[in-house]
Amino acid sequence: MALTEDDVRGIAEYATIALDTEELSEMTAYLNDAVEMLEPILQYAAEDVAPTFHPIGGLANVMRADAPDANRALSTNEALANAGAQHDGQFRVPSILGGER
Amino acid sequence: MLANLDSLSAAQIAAGVAAGDFTAAEVAHAALSAIDARDAEVQAYLQVTPELALDAAAAIDARRAAGEPLPPLAGVPFAIKDNMNLVGTRTTCASRMLETYESPYTATCVQRMLDAGCLPLGKVNMDEFAFGSSTESSAFKPTHNPWDLERVPGGSSGGSAAAVAAGMATLALGSDTGGSIRQPAAFCGVVGMKPSYGTVSRYGVVAFGSSLDQVGPFGRTVEDTALALDALTAGGRDPFDGTSQDAEGAFAAHLDDDIAGLRVGIIPAFMDAEGLDAEVKATVEKAASSLVDQGATLVDVDLPHLDAAIAAYYVIGPAEAFSNLARFDGVRYGYQEPDCPNLASQSALSRAHGFGAEAKRRQMLGAYLLSSGVYDRYYYAAQKARSLITADYQRAFEQVDVILMPASPTCAFRHGELSDPTQMYLSDMFTISINIAGNGGITVPCGLGTTSGMPVAVQLVGRAFDDRRLLTFARAVERAHAEATGTAGCTVAPAFAGKGGDLS
Repeated sequence: MALTEDDVRGIAEYATIALDTEELSEMTAYLNDAVEMLEPILQYAAEDVAPTFHPIGGLANVMRADAPDANRALSTNEALANAGAQHDGQFRVPSILGGER
Repeated sequence: MLANLDSLSAAQIAAGVAAGDFTAAEVAHAALSAIDARDAEVQAYLQVTPELALDAAAAIDARRAAGEPLPPLAGVPFAIKDNMNLVGTRTTCASRMLETYESPYTATCVQRMLDAGCLPLGKVNMDEFAFGSSTESSAFKPTHNPWDLERVPGGSSGGSAAAVAAGMATLALGSDTGGSIRQPAAFCGVVGMKPSYGTVSRYGVVAFGSSLDQVGPFGRTVEDTALALDALTAGGRDPFDGTSQDAEGAFAAHLDDDIAGLRVGIIPAFMDAEGLDAEVKATVEKAASSLVDQGATLVDVDLPHLDAAIAAYYVIGPAEAFSNLARFDGVRYGYQEPDCPNLASQSALSRAHGFGAEAKRRQMLGAYLLSSGVYDRYYYAAQKARSLITADYQRAFEQVDVILMPASPTCAFRHGELSDPTQMYLSDMFTISINIAGNGGITVPCGLGTTSGMPVAVQLVGRAFDDRRLLTFARAVERAHAEATGTAGCTVAPAFAGKGGDLS
């Protein structure tokens, strides 16, 4: 069943991307094309084979010692250097609950 | 006057610096002058870094003056895809989202090239966040194919391939998630290698598809590419990347191993694939017979599930990309929309205005595929197809030592020629399956197509972690082509050879 613009508006909300009206229409056409291209994969859903999520099996999480790594730790200034807004050594964001959406 | 830098291989440059024929500083100046003379037309570089190149050169020259031993690639200039961090440069991923992003640390792959003595010339163009096959989705500018400026260099590592092909770098680093090293290498007539997944650390490389991404080198010869892979793996496994593995090493040392008695697989379904250009098919056939001439045997192999590779990739890739790119929320880094009433609208508008069209498409597709009810149908099916594709390769490699196939169905296409996004996806048909399975592949240029006059190439695919043998076969193809045509391997695109770049 083809995706409607309403469906795509919901996906955009989930993806946190504010699409404008024109983009919404183009994106709906694109997603329907792309999903059609992916149809051949559905036949594999019933295969009696375990899924492979990663080309290297048996990966274990890598833990470092629970101590500051002076070589890799960024200073506060370095950590903030690429932020769009900062205040008193912290990332600055607009109101979380306020304002009109 | 000495030679032009673009006529020298990495090995020759390092030997010349070590012998005192020229200094690393002279190499850096020559490389920068080649960029000055050539890049206005090619537009491979997003940021040129003369200070970093000259500082690295001065350090090499000081070590030589002090009588210290020099590292293996001392004085060799290289270019870096702009999704790899290097302190002192921006890392933009060719996106407005990261237009002003300053690298906070240096990627392991870049650091290892520096440790090997290479000189960083700058950061090169790419498809935005590596989403594409033409470098046309760069937010900043298109890169042109040095063999024909009307055509694309391929992608996503199009800047890396074009810089090497135009003689504006001796080596370059790229990343390959579905063919992003091998396809641009084929389009630009250079060597490009995606090593087995896990061979090169991804630490400090902006992630696209974490189970697919692999960093690899470009060079104008197989030997240069092997030397770069030696440098990239010289430090062993990287503890900062949990998927990093120990590599075999000694890649350049085994290039001229004998291939007599070894078996080369041919996939008949690939050779008869719809859309495969006759000149590309003829190139693969010629390379196959040149391997037979060197004592190898051809064996037909059947990989019945490769048909599923494109669909599996365009489930797994966008799903992983959506997860990875969720970090761009406009708060800690990246474009931040001004004057938003609340955090949610700031994030949604920052992402809407920071990402370009293809980056939004891939994330929207990934978001849909990972949504409730859809996830079970597509994502699990794709990962089951992945098991079957991997098993196909394992079965094939019980019969053969390497598989020979096209890298791309056509030579480089023209700017704007593939305007439909899903048509563009189909151009990855020969490269995608090994990202899914994790084994290595390499593109070897084979001169110019008889019809197009553009570079044509073949791709060799090996067993996982059998990249040394893969390079040996690549060298065998290169050697046979050079002998048959009387050319010394692959060359700089003629319109740019010798422009700037004199070693004086």
